[in-house]
Amino acid sequence: MANIKIVAATGCPTGIAHTFMAEEALKKAAKKLGVEIKVETHGQVGVENELTKGDIAKADGVIIAADKDVYAYRFHGKPTVEVTVAKGIHEAEQLIQTIIDGKATVFKAKKSNTTEEDETALQKSNHSLAHSIYKHLMNGVSHMLPFVVGGGVLIALSFLFGIHSADPNHESYNPIAATLKDIGGLGFQMMVPILAAFIAESIAKRPGMVVGFIGGLIASNGGAGFLGGIAAGFLGGFTIVLLGKLLEKMPKSLNGLKSIFLYPLIGILLVGVIMTLLVEPMTAINEGMMSFLSNFQNANPVLLGVIVGAMSAFDMGGPVNKAAYVTGTALLGEGNYYFMAGVSAACITPPLITAFATVFFKKYFNQAERNAGGVNFILGSTHITEGAIPFAAKNPIVVIPILMIGSSVSAILTYIMNIEVPAPHGGFLVLPVVTGAIQWVIAILIGSLVGAFIYGFYKKRSYLKDQQTKGEEKDGQQIV
Amino acid sequence: MGNKLFDINQITLKQPLITQEEVFQLIATIAVEQGIASDPDEVIDGLLKREQESTTGFQDGFVIPHAQVDAIKRPAIIVVSSSVGIEWNALDGKPATFFIALLIPKQEAGTTHIQALASISRMLIHEEKREALAHAENKTTVMEELAGAFA
Repeated sequence: MANIKIVAATGCPTGIAHTFMAEEALKKAAKKLGVEIKVETHGQVGVENELTKGDIAKADGVIIAADKDVYAYRFHGKPTVEVTVAKGIHEAEQLIQTIIDGKATVFKAKKSNTTEEDETALQKSNHSLAHSIYKHLMNGVSHMLPFVVGGGVLIALSFLFGIHSADPNHESYNPIAATLKDIGGLGFQMMVPILAAFIAESIAKRPGMVVGFIGGLIASNGGAGFLGGIAAGFLGGFTIVLLGKLLEKMPKSLNGLKSIFLYPLIGILLVGVIMTLLVEPMTAINEGMMSFLSNFQNANPVLLGVIVGAMSAFDMGGPVNKAAYVTGTALLGEGNYYFMAGVSAACITPPLITAFATVFFKKYFNQAERNAGGVNFILGSTHITEGAIPFAAKNPIVVIPILMIGSSVSAILTYIMNIEVPAPHGGFLVLPVVTGAIQWVIAILIGSLVGAFIYGFYKKRSYLKDQQTKGEEKDGQQIV
Repeated sequence: MGNKLFDINQITLKQPLITQEEVFQLIATIAVEQGIASDPDEVIDGLLKREQESTTGFQDGFVIPHAQVDAIKRPAIIVVSSSVGIEWNALDGKPATFFIALLIPKQEAGTTHIQALASISRMLIHEEKREALAHAENKTTVMEELAGAFA
């Protein structure tokens, strides 16, 4: 036991407090459990106490406690535990125990001694398949969204001049509108290629990005939509990983040649051919799904509203919410403005629920919550669902279903009233281009108020419960 | 201690604070009085922004709010404790009572200061240090305990 050696890397975005707290917590836990540890910190001053190749090679296990990239690919082939920096602080002992017990998963990457960044990055791999797929997908989505938002809002702005104002043959033609629409359209066209490029980039760094981008362009031009983009991204990334394995035996002196010449050339060729073959069936699936969803919206607006509302409020800005949102933006690209109206309504509602609740049930919220509630009027009105997270985080099991109910009500009413929202973001800022703007606001207000009252009554109940036990708690606080 | 980072005038204990806002207000006021920062509002803004990213509440009532803004002229540690617990979303869910604010100038080139601030964070991991700080009756004891972090 005394011979066990562990290396760890800690890091947080600000790099002032938590990085070092995790370092200390790990050291303390290591001492207690009688193991040797070396902790590398990624703080504001840069990397300190850097792990050498020798350190990593000699270590029996690796702990990564970081909310930022700490170059995890160095730890290929090592039993590794990867957690957030907060867990590094609070569960340091369990993390070390996991390594001692030999329960850590081995980093599934191949051996490589090269220091070439593109090269080693290929070996970046993750222990949990579902988690890594999610991570790759989110990397693509988060790079894609700014294009969608910027481009989409510009397109929506062009509609302010009239819905046909960008058409030179139409009587309402306006050159400013046409320019806005062209520029916005470029942003929109980049959506699928960027999605594919950054899924692949997450899997296989820069060589992956190149190949994914090309695959995404083929999907986009062929009409395979964002499903095609996702396929292209994963295909591109894994093609490069595979190529890396095949070219492993090449002499190291040719590494430069690999990343600048062989990866792009072979990768683009392979992915290009496969995507060209795939694009037709993918397009069929894509179109099938789109028409399925649009049929839904005519046939059963209530059910669609429930699904969209529940998805949007489920994790507020997380993957489930994004799935609904990305579908909405994809349908916007296809010219369907109905679907997005419900998604937007459902995304705007959760912060408004918390905002209204803090107004109507003021005394059951503390000052910090009341302030946050006030801010949430603004966040909600501008389609920033994340504003509700602090409220939901306190008691997710109760609060999230409440938010889901409110969002569903907003979405159902929006679908029933056939409201059209041509912009993918912006909340109430895009009201001038919304068809049925007043009804839309009413739908959202109703959903928000319904949610706010349920939430408020819940808060009231738990507040009254707290009152009873308060006496004991007070004593506890005095001691601290 | 001769260390510029903290000073007995930068410690205020057992204040009747009840909200996050009041805590930040007090920290900012002390910062301006002690010539650490030029504008209290900017300090408060900086502290709030960091709090929105993720809570700085740690454990057993300890919180390490930090900010790095233009208005901060020199790196400093400000210690405030409150007589009642304040909700802070802390990692262990307990209300906050002991605030060790780390103020860092925007252009902080001297890494020694950042390292000093980091040692304060490290210190809080140790339960006995947390207890000693929480039970400190006066400013001098707090000073001594903090100085121990640099030893």
